[in-house]
Amino acid sequence: MPYDASDSVVQLLDVSKEFMRDKIRIPVLTNTTLHIPKGDFAAIMGPSGSGKSTLLNLAAGLDRPTTGRVIVNGQDLGVLSEAGLSRFRSENLGFIFQMYNLMPVLTAFENVELPLLLAPLNRAQRRQHVEAALRIVSLADRQDHYPRQLSGGQEQRVAIARAIANDPVLLLADEPTGNLDATSAQEVLDLLELLNTQFGTTIIMVTHDPKAARRAKRLLHLEKGTFVQADIEALETSR
Amino acid sequence: MKFIPLIIRNVLRNKIRTLFTGSSIAMSLFLVVLLYSFLMIQDEILEATKPYNRIMVTNVQGLTGNLPIAYLDRIRKMDEVRSAIPFSWFGGRYREETIPFAQFGTDSKYVTDVLQEYKVPDDQLDAWQADKTGCVVGALIAKNKGWKIGDKIPLKGDIYPVDLELTVRGIYDGDSTVDREQLWFHFEYMDEALKAKQQPMAGNAGIVMLRAKSGPIMPELMEKIDKQFASSDAPVRAMTEKEFQQSFMEMMGSVKFFINVISGIVVFSLLIVAGNTMAMALRERTREVAVLKAIGFGRGTILGMVLCEAVIIGLLGGVAGALGAKLLFATVDFSRWLTGFGFLYVPWRTALLGLVLAGFIGLASGIIPAWRAAQLSVVDGLRKIV
Repeated sequence: MPYDASDSVVQLLDVSKEFMRDKIRIPVLTNTTLHIPKGDFAAIMGPSGSGKSTLLNLAAGLDRPTTGRVIVNGQDLGVLSEAGLSRFRSENLGFIFQMYNLMPVLTAFENVELPLLLAPLNRAQRRQHVEAALRIVSLADRQDHYPRQLSGGQEQRVAIARAIANDPVLLLADEPTGNLDATSAQEVLDLLELLNTQFGTTIIMVTHDPKAARRAKRLLHLEKGTFVQADIEALETSR
Repeated sequence: MKFIPLIIRNVLRNKIRTLFTGSSIAMSLFLVVLLYSFLMIQDEILEATKPYNRIMVTNVQGLTGNLPIAYLDRIRKMDEVRSAIPFSWFGGRYREETIPFAQFGTDSKYVTDVLQEYKVPDDQLDAWQADKTGCVVGALIAKNKGWKIGDKIPLKGDIYPVDLELTVRGIYDGDSTVDREQLWFHFEYMDEALKAKQQPMAGNAGIVMLRAKSGPIMPELMEKIDKQFASSDAPVRAMTEKEFQQSFMEMMGSVKFFINVISGIVVFSLLIVAGNTMAMALRERTREVAVLKAIGFGRGTILGMVLCEAVIIGLLGGVAGALGAKLLFATVDFSRWLTGFGFLYVPWRTALLGLVLAGFIGLASGIIPAWRAAQLSVVDGLRKIV
């Protein structure tokens, strides 16, 4: 199928990333090119140190490539200042972390409201967004609970609600099921699938778990900083 | 404003730590506010004496020199003088007390004219004037020592080798700038006792305090007094009451310096303590700061939030310490335990200054942790957990 760049939410164009450790240059990504079209649900797998999280950080504008360009939702992230990147993230991206990373001092409602505090919304509009997000993750009845009062699976669902509260064009999930039991992991993956299929949210998910990767539409396999396999067909066959 | 709930929650996150930090700020500011109140009250009292046009006359050598009581009449006869009194420090010991309170031998007829702001009821003033061994005491010292009209006050001479057996005939009062911890007795009573013992100290007024007829004539009058006694055996020096008080304050010059040094050290120590607390708090929240930055919180917002948190902790200490000192000294009378400190209170401007200082300590203590949080790399911050 011919590739249409205008349809891409994420474009990594000939991107390389190196880190310096004790004056030693460590290449993590090497001349990597990636296109994630709108509405895609891509799972990135690979061994530790293969560059999965680095790739996610570059796509999120949390880190800058050594060479190459990163374009997200039509915006070249390389031309943005730190403040511009912060604004871009708040308006376009949602994050899901392995450790949930909820603020322990805030209730579920207030955690979900956090990214909305940066948006030009009044209190009532924020409440509307938060309640909608909590309904999607089926936690409307737990909005006044603090993270310590929730199970791991519930915490991750609140984190998902926080990630989708500002209706992002791209959802970035770093090992979203890595800390969950099998049942909770299934619930979270169901949610991600729902967001992708029902709401058309584009998702990039880094995972070590093949079961989680199978729920994605596309599997990308990174090894030593290069994509060596991106064969969703093979994955489908193994289902 | 939208971030206030999160800031408040972070302040209250570790209540014990906030309590300890706030308490250390509170206690230190309590001390600083009291020290500065002491200095400020001195200034206020000096200012308060200005409208009374009072002049103090002492021997040119100071309080240790002789000032013959005969000078009093000569000063009273000057056209520019409205009234004049001897004001002789007795310094006797009362019962078992080791530190003497303020006792002055004076002239009952003119004392309330010279010390106009000191109010003695007319009938009590008459009673005092009629009793050679009578005395008048300040309302505060009377309250603290439980003295009533008619009570006997024995004073054992320390500087002067005579003892006085006084009877309370009146109680004076006045506003907050009036020293209500003095005792006045008849100068003649002390002087006659000294004469009876043929003491060379007899006939010495110590200080003559006078009230000029108006303010503008005071410089000229002081010069006139100085000149009049310049060639006598006991030349004098006349100065305004403010200058006289300031000469005492000059003796306290080093006290002022030490108060400033102590306050500076206290504030600096607080900065370190509060700064360390904020740094620890932020270090524990590295992951959370990284998450906030990841979801779009900018450096300025993070910086502002941390600084706000630090200022709130500082102000909590300030409210407890500075305003607490104000409230405590407004409601509890410490002169009962601290003789001579009855005048001590915390002026509003000192309390507010303490509050501002607390805010500054909070702000300054938060600068480095806030800057570090704002500069935190999201990738590094998140790496700590994944």
